Amino acid sequence: MTALDVAFAAVGLITAASGLLAVTTRHVVHAALWLVVCLGAVAGCYLVLGAEFVALVQLLVYVGAIVVLVLFALMLTRAPIGPNSEISTSRLHRVLAGVLGAGVTALLAAALVPIAGPAVERHDTSTTQVAEQLFGTWVWPFEILSLLLLVALIAAMAVSRMTRPEQAADEVQAAQVQAAQTPSESA
Amino acid sequence: MSEQAKKPGGIGIPGILKGLATTARTMAKPTHTAEYPDAQPHLPPRSRGVIALLEENCTSCMLCARECPDWCIYIDSHKETIPATTEGGRERQRNVLDRFAIDFSLCMYCGICIEVCPFDALHWSPEFEYAEMDIRDLLHEKDRLGQWMPTVPPPSALDEHSAEAAEIGATTRPGRLTRATPERPTPTRATPTRATPTQPTPTPATPTRAIPTGQESPAAEAVPEPAPESEE
Amino acid sequence: MSDTVEVTLRAVGVLAAFLVLPLLVGQTEHKVMAHMQGRLGPMYAGGFHGWAQLVADGVKFVQKEDITPAAADKRVFRFAPAVALVPYLVALAAIPLSPDVVAADLPASAVFVLAVTAVGILGTLMAGWASANKYSLLGAMRAAAQLLSYELPMVLAVASVCLAAGSLSLSGIAAAWSPWWLIFQLPGAIVFLVAAVAELQRPPFDMPVADSEIVFGAYTEYTGLRFAFFLLSEYAGIVVMSLLFAVLYLGGWHGLLSDQLGWLWTLLKGFCIAVVVIWLRVAWPRLREDQLQRLAWLVLVPLALAQLALTGVWVVTTA
Repeated sequence: MTALDVAFAAVGLITAASGLLAVTTRHVVHAALWLVVCLGAVAGCYLVLGAEFVALVQLLVYVGAIVVLVLFALMLTRAPIGPNSEISTSRLHRVLAGVLGAGVTALLAAALVPIAGPAVERHDTSTTQVAEQLFGTWVWPFEILSLLLLVALIAAMAVSRMTRPEQAADEVQAAQVQAAQTPSESA
Repeated sequence: MSEQAKKPGGIGIPGILKGLATTARTMAKPTHTAEYPDAQPHLPPRSRGVIALLEENCTSCMLCARECPDWCIYIDSHKETIPATTEGGRERQRNVLDRFAIDFSLCMYCGICIEVCPFDALHWSPEFEYAEMDIRDLLHEKDRLGQWMPTVPPPSALDEHSAEAAEIGATTRPGRLTRATPERPTPTRATPTRATPTQPTPTPATPTRAIPTGQESPAAEAVPEPAPESEE
Repeated sequence: MSDTVEVTLRAVGVLAAFLVLPLLVGQTEHKVMAHMQGRLGPMYAGGFHGWAQLVADGVKFVQKEDITPAAADKRVFRFAPAVALVPYLVALAAIPLSPDVVAADLPASAVFVLAVTAVGILGTLMAGWASANKYSLLGAMRAAAQLLSYELPMVLAVASVCLAAGSLSLSGIAAAWSPWWLIFQLPGAIVFLVAAVAELQRPPFDMPVADSEIVFGAYTEYTGLRFAFFLLSEYAGIVVMSLLFAVLYLGGWHGLLSDQLGWLWTLLKGFCIAVVVIWLRVAWPRLREDQLQRLAWLVLVPLALAQLALTGVWVVTTA
């Protein structure tokens, strides 16, 4: 039991506890805030395991951007202070979700525990190694993933600009009216 | 919209650099801050700091109190009978000022009271350092108002060719008791100026100024009489 | 045992810097802004040109009543200032003043500083939502929208420098720096500076705290010490961003007698950048929300991408 084991157990516990709180809390914004703790603790796990760069990217992308986006979206909706019962799920849902979660956990445990074997030696992964792996061995999956993200981005733009036919006709008319009113703008 | 937003962007770079230059230049220049408690401010001599009362001039006519827009002047007075000075003469009544107070927590320094005072009993003083910790202490009674009187600057000098000050004119010209008809001095002074406009003397002021001088002069006991009458 | 002592010393050093440098920047802002507006600024506290004004302000903040609104989400409300403040403290620890003067020399400190400062926005969001005040909520949403859009050009600009230096460590970047970078990395530097000012919500990017529109944004309901923490985090943010700019783009400790006085050079360069940040506040009016987003996405992101491409080409051709 080294100091690293203790640290890993601690961040692991925090991750599990905050994850549990994120799904059980009745406050919708609290759930997002517990998610912050959870993702931050996951970054801590990476750090303890020696993958410093991954931990930092986890922090930068998930805590700094994704959760902020989630909170932003929550605030755009009606996110009242205090528990709101109308968005909570029914008892059946909860039981089903619990069973599903337990099942996945059991499956993962059944698959991973036999191959765990003796403790693997921790070795620090330098940023250079990550880069070599990413742009050497895994360059094609990496590029395909970025292409996928690009497609998703363009698709999101297309969806946001897509209009129904009659609505489009209205908009064209409105645009024409606007153009007639302000000729300098359309020029 | 986009066109509108773009246009300032196109010519904006010199503009924002100019903004930076302006602030930098201002920083290099001396500041305008007046360090007031450490250095006395340079106020114009006719600043409206506080209102001073010359108690001897006040006839308790109440004009100031009535004209005051926010009713911050309090005047109490009583009538006193002066026995006749000559044998068989008429007894005269005069008002004695008991209380004259200005509440500077209400005063808005409009100066109307000073404008309307027919007897020059109220004056502007440039003193302004009379702040109090308690707002009730801003009610200045007549002795406090009288203490401001020495700080009132003397009237500004007349122009070079203007008529002599009305007060001086009143003392130098023959007294009322000696003159034969009351009309005589005024027309002689007024008519030539109206007839000859080339004369540089600022004439229209002369007749109007002549009225208060009458009260200023010691021989003019008769004139304060109308004021108490109008009061009642 | 000596390890413990050293760690304690470093932590105390960072804490001291964290408490002193923001006050220094704050006092500089008082005086510089005053003189730029033809005023003198604070003159009384402490005697000499009001040097202790911010100390006096701190004492005043401590004395004030700590109010939590009745309708607020109390725990989140009380916790938010810490979330806003601590990230900058952690970030300050990773910034090297010279090769020797650094609290925690991490291998990827550039990414670390960016990642940690990105967490600070959560404090503003929490404060805005938990205050139960519509101005606070609006301010928090503006802050979130602003920080999301300016995070990208900032990361891209830093990536360009990292690429040119071939290192993710701030010490490594400053060591690889050469005066030629002043021109070569100029577009990136401008993008970084603009994005940093926007990230700090300083004028001209102070939409989230626009007093004439939404009182004081997310901090409207705060008083006393918690409010002081938000203010401190703003000035600590200026310190962190200025030092980061000095290390990334101005070569940090490079200068005369850099072996002995390197840390002083870094501080001096960072201080100059802080003065520039203050200068921008005095000189320029506030941007509108649409101008803000337009600047981020139509000017800064393309500029940062072009800089990244340029650096990439340069690195490949010179390698």
